[in-house]
Amino acid sequence: MGGLFEGFQNWLHNSRELLLSRFPTDEKEVQEPEVSLTELPPSLRSKLVAAVENLPSNSADLQAIYSKLDEGLEEWRHNPKTADNSLVVLSSPVTTVLRILTDNLQDWAAECEIPLRYLQLNGRPAHKDIITQLRQQLDREKSVTEAKQPEIVVIPNLNWCYLRCFDGLEGIDYLQDVLLQDHSRFWIIGSGLVGWEYLNCISNFEAYCGNSLILPKLEGEQLQTWLQPIIDEFGISFGEGLTDNSDAVGVITSHSMRKGNGDREESQNNQTKYFDRLASVSEGVSSVAIEVFLRSICYEHVESDTEIESGILRVETPELPSLNRFDQGDLYVLYSLLLHGDLTLSALADSLGDPQSLVKGRVRILRRMRIIQQQDDTLTVNPIHYPRLKKELDNNNFIIDESD
Amino acid sequence: MLMYLNLFILLQSTGDTAEQTIEQTQQVITQITSAKIAQALIAIAFAYILIKVVDKLINWFSEQVAKERRLQVKQFLPFLRMMVLTITIVFLMNLFLHLSRDNLFAVTGTIAVALGFAFKDYASSIVAGIIGLFEAPYRLGDRVQLGDNYGEVVTYGLRGIRLRTPEDNIVTIPHNKIWTDSISNANMGALEAQVVTHFYLHHSVDVELVKKILYRIAHTSKYTHLKLPILVWVEETRWGTRFQLKSYPLDARDEFIYKTDLTTRAKQVFAKYNLPYPRYLNREDEDTSSQ
Repeated sequence: MGGLFEGFQNWLHNSRELLLSRFPTDEKEVQEPEVSLTELPPSLRSKLVAAVENLPSNSADLQAIYSKLDEGLEEWRHNPKTADNSLVVLSSPVTTVLRILTDNLQDWAAECEIPLRYLQLNGRPAHKDIITQLRQQLDREKSVTEAKQPEIVVIPNLNWCYLRCFDGLEGIDYLQDVLLQDHSRFWIIGSGLVGWEYLNCISNFEAYCGNSLILPKLEGEQLQTWLQPIIDEFGISFGEGLTDNSDAVGVITSHSMRKGNGDREESQNNQTKYFDRLASVSEGVSSVAIEVFLRSICYEHVESDTEIESGILRVETPELPSLNRFDQGDLYVLYSLLLHGDLTLSALADSLGDPQSLVKGRVRILRRMRIIQQQDDTLTVNPIHYPRLKKELDNNNFIIDESD
Repeated sequence: MLMYLNLFILLQSTGDTAEQTIEQTQQVITQITSAKIAQALIAIAFAYILIKVVDKLINWFSEQVAKERRLQVKQFLPFLRMMVLTITIVFLMNLFLHLSRDNLFAVTGTIAVALGFAFKDYASSIVAGIIGLFEAPYRLGDRVQLGDNYGEVVTYGLRGIRLRTPEDNIVTIPHNKIWTDSISNANMGALEAQVVTHFYLHHSVDVELVKKILYRIAHTSKYTHLKLPILVWVEETRWGTRFQLKSYPLDARDEFIYKTDLTTRAKQVFAKYNLPYPRYLNREDEDTSSQ
């Protein structure tokens, strides 16, 4: 027995190279010294974030909205009394359509030669004031209504017109009345999907509206085109590191920049794979994709003769961060935030029906976990956690998104 | 002389019977050694630990899976406990008894008679527990009313179940109640259990307004399961109008806190609209009793 084992050991030793040669390895890759990746320096990160915030709305979303708007408006113009007089543009609760609707509709309305009026809200009014604000801005004088002067009214963020509490839904009651009342008005309404599902559940709101459009899921190519200005501006490199039999995008080194055309092609190929994976991980949601993109960018120090610190930005495999386990109380808070898109602490407490002091502590914990982010007084869910959080909430009986 | 002869025959036959019994007992019972006792103790300890581990594991796992699967996972627990117990008992019997076919009949017969006299109720509960596993009048996680006790089934044991009442008391109820008592089960293995919240108002209230308030209260509660129907029932009584708000919490375990939330918020709105409560209930009662 001992002899047999010794024989096997000798055979293994002698045939080691033969056996290992069967596995695909890249000797060059092995010999290459490991590069140390670090997090982005804060200054660079803030520049990147600023650049991302200044990106224009992505063209895929705009195309979809314009096409649906043209269709709906045309129909309404021909049959103002019978055709639907509204279009609801729906997005994920972490991607507000507010900016798309406020930045891009003026020119389109000018082409249509119909006056455009925006519901002027900079945030959610106190829940008792919602109805007053809506009446002030949307009520029309009787003489104007009778004159049937056509008008396009844009509610960029329907989520600001309600709060989940007893008085907070009066705005929705008012809108239900006013939407069908005046056929000389065409309404364009932006809303988050979770809030939309909630309103449909409690008041069948979609029955009062016309067509709805869910912003299309972005493909890898569309994401690549959209983010290209940032890639070019910051010289983010996509290069070697992927083998043909690998599905994942590997770490890409800067050496590829110095290599020939063959490597450039490989880099292009890797870039395509990277964005396909980014689209898949982010489920085609632009705000999630941006967060994952930023998270995947690493910084590599480069030694240079000059004293000025220099480095290269490169990408790693785009991945979602893991999600902690939440207790039921956390889920109520997170669902409330997704339902309303954004909330102040007092509005969050009102929507939960809990005292503010109780909610404050929970929010602080969730902020520390980076699940919730705060800008000024406004709390939102960190978009990078949305895909996993959505599944978690769905598993726990919360109404999330029937379209999925 | 004849009497002595009879006595002798009787004594001899008694002696024979005793010898036969001893012989049979010796056939059935194997030699008890300290090693076997040690094995048996280890087996019992192992079974005890295994049951505890299975309990913890299943309970932990049921909290990890999606909520809709929680109760389904928990249903494995009584089956696994029963399996561990059965295997342990078979092992112990095999250790101490010669389980040939004849002996098996003898042993089961003896046990049946012993149990029948000494542990009638206990045996009845065990049998009811086994039948209950398949008939499932209640399962782990169900919210049941058994006699005067209402609560969530938190343990399904060999002899009985344990209910956690709204007051957080644990009530142990033997399984044999299923032979005689009616069992009211609110969710029958499903996660959802309807909660009925009662509101009592004066006859003069605007019923439509109250209905609208109650629907909105349910729609705006963070606990409400919005995928399931919400209903308001109205009933006229001698002393006032009774409203029943029927809705479902997201998690059946939130039943009582949900009811509290609905009641608290509804009372706030009733106060805002100055909705009157039945005021003369005591006087009417007095009037009725004096007549």
